[in-house]
Amino acid sequence: MTRDQGVGASPARVGGLDRVTGRQAYVADVHLGDALHAKLVGLDCARARIIAVDTSAALEVPGVRVVITAADLPQPVPRFGPQFQDRPVLAVGETHYHGEPIAAIAAETRDAAEEAARLVRVDYEELPAVFTIAGALDPAAPLVQDPTLRPGNPLAHTNILREHHYGWGDVDAASAEAEVVVEGTYQFPMVTQFAIEPHAFIAAPDGDGIAIWSSIQHPSWLQRVIAGLLHLPLAKVRVFAPDPGGGFGGKQHAKYEPLVAFLALRAGRPVRLVLTLEETFQAVRRGASEIRVRSGFRSDGSLVFRDVEADYLIGAYADIADRTVAKGSYTSNGPYRVPAARVVARSILSHTTPSTAFRGFGNPQQIWAVESNMDEAAHVLGIDPVALRLRNLARRGEAFIPGDTPADGDWAQTVERAAELIGWGSPPAPGRGRGLAVGLKSGPTTGLSYSTVRLLADGSVIVHAGTSDMGQGARTIFAQIAAQELGAPLDWVTVVMGDTAVVPYDQQTSASRSSVLMGNAILNACRDVQARIRGMAARLESVDEAAVTVDRGEVRIGDRAMPIRDVLIRGLGRLGGEVIGIGEMRKEADPEHPLGGTAAFFEFNCTAVEVEVDRATGDIVVARHVTVSDVGKALNPVQVRGQDEGAAIMGLGHTLMEHYIYDDEGRIRNLGAIDYRIPTSMDLPLVMESDVVENEDGPGPYGSKGMSEGALLCVAPAVAAAVRDATGAVIRDLPLTPERVWRALNRPSAAGDPDAGAPTPTA
Amino acid sequence: MTALRRIDLVVNGRARSIEVAVHHTLLDVLRDDLGLTGTKECCLVGECGACTVLVDDVSVDSCLMLAVEADRAAVTTVEGLAADDRLHPLQQAFLEAGAAQCGFCIPGQLISAQALLALNPHPTRAEVEEGLAGNLCRCAGYGQIIEAVLAAAEASTPAGEAG
Amino acid sequence: MRAFAYERPTDLGAAVALLAEHGGDACLLAGGTDLIIRLRDGSMQPRVVVDLKWIAELDGEIREVDEHLAIGARTVMTDIAANERIRREYQALAEAASVVGSVQIRNRATLAGNICNASPAADTAPALLAYGARVIAVGPAGKRAIPIDEFFVRSGLTTLDRGELVTAIELPRPAGRHGSVHVRRTRRRGHDLASVTLACAVGEDGMTRLAYGSLGPRPILVRDETGLLADPAAPDLAKMQRLEALFVGASPSPRSMRASPDYRLAMLHVLGLRAVGTAIERLASGIVRR
Repeated sequence: MTRDQGVGASPARVGGLDRVTGRQAYVADVHLGDALHAKLVGLDCARARIIAVDTSAALEVPGVRVVITAADLPQPVPRFGPQFQDRPVLAVGETHYHGEPIAAIAAETRDAAEEAARLVRVDYEELPAVFTIAGALDPAAPLVQDPTLRPGNPLAHTNILREHHYGWGDVDAASAEAEVVVEGTYQFPMVTQFAIEPHAFIAAPDGDGIAIWSSIQHPSWLQRVIAGLLHLPLAKVRVFAPDPGGGFGGKQHAKYEPLVAFLALRAGRPVRLVLTLEETFQAVRRGASEIRVRSGFRSDGSLVFRDVEADYLIGAYADIADRTVAKGSYTSNGPYRVPAARVVARSILSHTTPSTAFRGFGNPQQIWAVESNMDEAAHVLGIDPVALRLRNLARRGEAFIPGDTPADGDWAQTVERAAELIGWGSPPAPGRGRGLAVGLKSGPTTGLSYSTVRLLADGSVIVHAGTSDMGQGARTIFAQIAAQELGAPLDWVTVVMGDTAVVPYDQQTSASRSSVLMGNAILNACRDVQARIRGMAARLESVDEAAVTVDRGEVRIGDRAMPIRDVLIRGLGRLGGEVIGIGEMRKEADPEHPLGGTAAFFEFNCTAVEVEVDRATGDIVVARHVTVSDVGKALNPVQVRGQDEGAAIMGLGHTLMEHYIYDDEGRIRNLGAIDYRIPTSMDLPLVMESDVVENEDGPGPYGSKGMSEGALLCVAPAVAAAVRDATGAVIRDLPLTPERVWRALNRPSAAGDPDAGAPTPTA
Repeated sequence: MTALRRIDLVVNGRARSIEVAVHHTLLDVLRDDLGLTGTKECCLVGECGACTVLVDDVSVDSCLMLAVEADRAAVTTVEGLAADDRLHPLQQAFLEAGAAQCGFCIPGQLISAQALLALNPHPTRAEVEEGLAGNLCRCAGYGQIIEAVLAAAEASTPAGEAG
Repeated sequence: MRAFAYERPTDLGAAVALLAEHGGDACLLAGGTDLIIRLRDGSMQPRVVVDLKWIAELDGEIREVDEHLAIGARTVMTDIAANERIRREYQALAEAASVVGSVQIRNRATLAGNICNASPAADTAPALLAYGARVIAVGPAGKRAIPIDEFFVRSGLTTLDRGELVTAIELPRPAGRHGSVHVRRTRRRGHDLASVTLACAVGEDGMTRLAYGSLGPRPILVRDETGLLADPAAPDLAKMQRLEALFVGASPSPRSMRASPDYRLAMLHVLGLRAVGTAIERLASGIVRR
C-alpha cells in the first residue's frame, strides 16, 4: 500500500468517480419498474381545522391508484417521533404548520399525481396560529399540541414543551463579585438546511415485509420506526440508504417514510415520493432562538459568572428539536472556566415547520449570543478580544463543566493559530474591521456502532459500516483505515453501507460521531481479523501465538516480516474462505448525567474574520475568513478542508442572508430558491484560509476527533464583532443583511424589527 | 388530454427520436424518458443549476426549457463528458482536487465549467466564480470546485484540449 | 405542470393570427426563463403556448437599421452583454444584461421577453428608458413603433394590443457623447432579483437621464435638464437635493419581502448619486462614437 493512501493522506474520495460521471444513484435516481408516483396535499395556511376532505374528483383522474387521508390509516392515527411520538402520519383534524400534509396521492405518472393533488377539495377553517416566541408564550395563545399527548405534564397546558436547567456554583452570590456585568439579548432566525438533494423516499412491499429507500442519515433508526408503526419485526423491514445529496441534520429522522410505507402497502406496489425544494423548506429547519446572556467579569477580564436564559422556537412537532435545545444549552457557557453558571432553556412549540437537527445542533444559537456578549465585554473592559478568550479558556484536563468530560484539547493553541493567520495584533487595512470568536460543541454523549470486516481470500477487503456518507467522506476514511490495518491497497477495499439487511447496526450519523464511533468499530473489527491472522500464522509457523504480532499490514515473528496476504493465502488452504472480524464501539449511557452521557470529545473551532462595510448601503464584504479546528488527527486532510470550508460558508449563510420570511398569518413567504438566499460562488470571502490543529489527542482512530460542525459554530459572532470593530455598531439579530446593517448605522433609534417587510418569527 | 410531439435531437452524440409531452421540460425528458439521471432536479426555478446541460454547446437550466424546444438540438449531459473510458479533463481535475463532496451539484458544476472553459480557456479566479454562480453547492465552500476548474484550465494545451 | 397546447408558427403572419385568435389564452415562449416558472406555479395557465423561436422573420441579431441599433426579438442577454457596440455606446444596457441572472439564465433570457414580462424590477428597462429605445411590434393592424416610455403600464401589463408581438427593440443613435451606467441593489453579491435597479446617462449637452425600477408599478424615467447633476464641480449635497426632487414619484411597495420601503428609497438616492458620478467619469474618459 502506497504512502499516499493511508490515514493522514488524501487519496481520492471513494465514490468520487461515480459523482463526477453522474453514475452516483441518489434515491430519486432509483428506478423501480412498477413504482407509483406520490404527491402530497397540504393547505396554504399555518393552522386550520379540517372540516371535510373530498377526494372524489382526484380519484377520477386517469392513472390515480390511491388517495388517502388520515381516515384511511389505522385508527387512532399512528404517531412517531424520536423524542415524543407526537407527529401523525397524516394531519388529523387540524393542520399545525404551513404545508403539513392532509392527504397523499399515488398515481401511475407524476402528471396524474399532480393533477389529482390539485383536485382534492378541502373544506377548512383557518385558525389563529402562533409563530413567534412572544405569540406562543402569550397566556391567551392557542395550544400547538393537544394536552392529552402529555398527560400529567405540568407544562401540557402551555406551548412550552420542556424546560431545562443546567449550571453550577451560585450565580447570584457570584454576581456581587463581578466588577463588570455585560448583558444582551440575541436573536437567531429560522433557517433551513437546503441540501441540494430534496428529500426522497420510496417504499415497496417486500414479501411479507417492506423495503424503504430514503435519503436518511440514520438507517437503523428508521428501520425501528417503520417496524414499530407497521407492527413488523425488524428483520422484515429493509432500509436502503443511498448516499444522501447533503443532509446537515435535516435527513436524520423520519419525515414522510411512514406515509409512503402506508401508501405502498395500500397500493400493493412501490410508491415513490420526491419532495419539491419548497416542500423541504416546509419540512425541516433549525430552531430559532432568543437568548439573554448576562456575564460578569473582574476588571482583569476573568469570568465570574454567566447567566443564560434561552428560548428556542421549535416547530409544531418535537422531532429531535428538544434534544438540540438541551445539548446546545448545556454547553452554552462555552469553553471557558467560570466559577458560577446558570442556564435556563426552553423549547417552545409553534405552528411552524418542525425544527430538527441542523449542523451545530442547538449550539450556533447559543454561541451567537455568548460570543457576541464576550466581544461586547472585551470592549467594555478595554481588553483585547483574543486576550479575553485566552484568559478564560479552559486548559487541557480542566473540568470546565463539572461532572462532564474535561477539556480535551489545547484550545489556546487553536486560538493562537487563528489569530496568527488573520494577523491579529497588526492593524487591518484602512476601513476594515476584525473579529474573532470561538465555538465549542459536545460530540456524541452515548453511542453504539458495529462493523464487520471481511478479509477475502486474495487479501481484498469488504467493510460493512452503517454510517451515511452524505458528503463528509465517511466511506473514504473507513476504506483508509481498513487498508492501512490490513495491508491492502486502497482500491482493494470495498465499503458497503446503507442496507440494513447486510450492514450491522449503527445508531446514527450525527454529532460528528462517525470517525470516532464507527471508525473505532472498524478498527476493532480489523484488530479482530488481525487476531485471527495471528492464530493462523502461529499454526503455520508452529510457534506460540504470543510470538506473533500483526501491525497494520504486516505479520511479524521474531525478525521475520511478511504481508498479511501471504499468511492468509497459505492459511486458508484448499477450502478457501475468508476471515471475518466483528468490531464494536460503545459509549454507554449515564442516566445520572443531564444529557444522558458525557461528551465523547469536544469539537473546538476558532474563527477570525476581517470585513469591509459599506456604510451607505450596509453591504458587508468578508475580506478574509480564517477558520481553525482542533481535530486530533486529520484522517483525510483534503476532505477535512472541504468540510471545514463548507461549514464556514454555510455559517456565512445564516450570518449574512438566510432567514424564513413570514406573513402576518404564519405562512412562509420565501419558499424556494428565488427568495431564500444562500451563498453562491460570488459570495465568498475574498480570502479563505482553513487550518487544523492535530495533537492526536482524540478518542478516534489514530487520535482523531470528530469534525464537520466546528467551522460553522462561531462564524456569526466573529463577523458581528468585525462589523463592530469597523463601524461601532453592535447588532444582536441575524442575519446581518445589508438592510439590517444599514438600519443599525443610519437609523439606530428605529424600534421593532428592522428587516424587510414582514415580521420575523422571533420578534 | 396530454398533447404529444415527436422531437429529433442528439443526446451525448447519439441521435434520438422520441415522442414527448409538450408540457414536460427537457429535465423531465432527460431523466424520465431517456433514463439519463446524472442531471439532477432541485429548485425547478432556474436558481440552483443542478439541472444544467449544454444545448448546442450553450449552458442552460434544463428545468426552464420545454423538451420540445430542444428539437433539432444537440444536448450534452454529464454522461456525455467522458469519451469512452477516458474521463474528461474537468472530471479528472474535480477528482484530484476533492471537489465533489455529496456530489449532487457536481454534474451541473461540470457542465457549467465546460461551457466556461470553451468560451474562456484561461479564466481568472473571479471569472470562474462568476461562471459558476448559477450552480449552488451547500457542502463545499466552492473553493475546491474553483481550484479544480483553474487546474483544468492550466492543464489544457494552447490547442484547446478543454473544449 | 398543467398541460397546454404547443404551437410553433414558422412565419410572423401565422404567429399574429394565433395570438389574435387566442388572446389571453395564449402565451408567447421566447427564452422561457420567466414563463416556465409561471407555468409551474400556476400563475399563468394558458391554453396555448406559442413558441416564437421558429418564426422566420425573427432573429437574435444585433444590427444597424435606419439610424437605430436594432436588437432582434430572439436576442439573448449573453449576446447583448458581449456585443462590442452595445458595450461601447449603450454601456448601461450591456451591464444590465450581464446581471439579469446566472450564465444559464442569460443564455436563454431575451431582451424582448424581459420587457414584455413587464416586471417593475426588470433590469434592462431602466437602460432602455435612459436611451430612449423604441419597441417594434407587429400585429393584426400591421407594424408600429412604441416609444419605450409608453410601453410599460404596470406589473405584467404593456401597451401591446391583442395579437401583437415584439419583433425588435431599437436604440436610437446617441445624439452626442454620453457616459452611462447601470447599478442595482441586491441581497447578496451573487445573482439576485434587484430591490432597486437604476440606469443613468449623462450627455455632453449637460442632460442627465435617470431611470429606475422596483420602486413602483412600472419603471420610471426622469430627466435633469438644469445641468446640475451633470456638472462635475457641483457639490454632492446640491445633487442629492436635485435627486430628491426627481425621485419624488418613487413608490416602493410596502409588501415586498426583498426590502422595506424606506431602505429602498434611501438606496435609490445613494445609487442615484453614485451612478451620476460614474456616468460623469465615463463621459470624461471618452466614448468614441463611430
